[in-house]
Amino acid sequence: MDTGGSVVSTRAEEQSFHVRYRMEVSCLELALEGERLCKVGDYKAGVSFFEAAIQVGTEDLQVLSAIYSQLGNAYFHLHDYAKALEFHRHDLTLTRTIGDLVGEAKASGNLGNTLKVLGRFDEAVVCCQRHLDIARDMNDKVGQARALYNFGNVYHAKGKSICWSGAEPGDFPEDVMMALRKAAEYYEANLAIVKELGDRAAQGRTYGNLGNTHYLLGNFCKAVASHEQRLLIAKEFGDRSAERRAYCNLGNAYIFLGEFEVAAEHYKKTLQLARQLKDRAVEAQACYSLGNTYTLLQDYERAIDYHLKHLIIAQDLNDRIGEGRACWSLGNAYTALGNHDQAMHFAEKHLEICRETGDRSGELTARM
Amino acid sequence: EAKSSSVTSSQIFHSNGGEMEPETMEIKSVSEYFTKMHIGSLMSRQ
Repeated sequence: MDTGGSVVSTRAEEQSFHVRYRMEVSCLELALEGERLCKVGDYKAGVSFFEAAIQVGTEDLQVLSAIYSQLGNAYFHLHDYAKALEFHRHDLTLTRTIGDLVGEAKASGNLGNTLKVLGRFDEAVVCCQRHLDIARDMNDKVGQARALYNFGNVYHAKGKSICWSGAEPGDFPEDVMMALRKAAEYYEANLAIVKELGDRAAQGRTYGNLGNTHYLLGNFCKAVASHEQRLLIAKEFGDRSAERRAYCNLGNAYIFLGEFEVAAEHYKKTLQLARQLKDRAVEAQACYSLGNTYTLLQDYERAIDYHLKHLIIAQDLNDRIGEGRACWSLGNAYTALGNHDQAMHFAEKHLEICRETGDRSGELTARM
Repeated sequence: EAKSSSVTSSQIFHSNGGEMEPETMEIKSVSEYFTKMHIGSLMSRQ
């Protein structure tokens, strides 16, 4: 009887089990640390831990799926969409292979969002549809609502991507309007569900994007109604970033309704919140909008005040295009006041910046 | 891509057609998966 051989084989099995066990624990520890880092917003460090976890490896395919998915999301937040696409694809393939339908729905949703950002709208639509189909088959209302929101975002982005520059809201080519109308339909379908579920946070997001869709469609009263709802919900949650967005979007809609005073009040709220949030770029944008609103109100002194504020921030941020726009606006405002010296000074500054940035159309305007 | 500083009226008041809400990404959490597994194994022991 050869007992020695079986003892050796048992030891080898034990060792192999021990190595695999250590690997699983190590992979899990790395993944959990990656998860913790991503939760606090440190996506770069999170990526390192998740990638290390993959290097170590795991035999638990659910863990692997979660790692792929979170890596995809981390790259998405880091704006590395090619990498996000790669990992969400891995996740989709894996979930399909193991027949995990809930996981497949999630992977499809994330892949759809990534494809949308990359401008690959037709492929994004396929992913959103798969997400929606699975959610419907499983009678998962939350999943359905999320898929419908993503669908709306894809059509909204598609509409904006077709033809944007120069045209006024409500005056886009038919294919743009069609995509935007579809977006509105999906947002409405989403709202029906999230209202039923009593999910106020989701309602807030959808009202915000629905408001922007109505704005682009030229339905400015509907845009105001949606953004008012968004504002209300943002206040409920104390979400000052969302509140700021709503005020800015409301200001834009009131401009197109010809209610310039009301628009100015909303832009002032935007400015106040931008300062509280210490967001200099948004502060600059709010000053620019206020400058333009007071120009429409023919209050050129105030317009100049805000355009100068915009100019200072643009210079601080080294935003030459913003600086050029501020100079152009200041030139116009000083002309309206009859202050030709200042008007000439800013017109020359504008021309100089246009030459530097290679802005031919701005250069031609400046010469006029 | 350099944007023109001689802006049209629509570009004056907004950047790219209004400020959008964030995307909602689906979350798959390793810790939640293990919590569920742990609860599942405890339930099956009872």
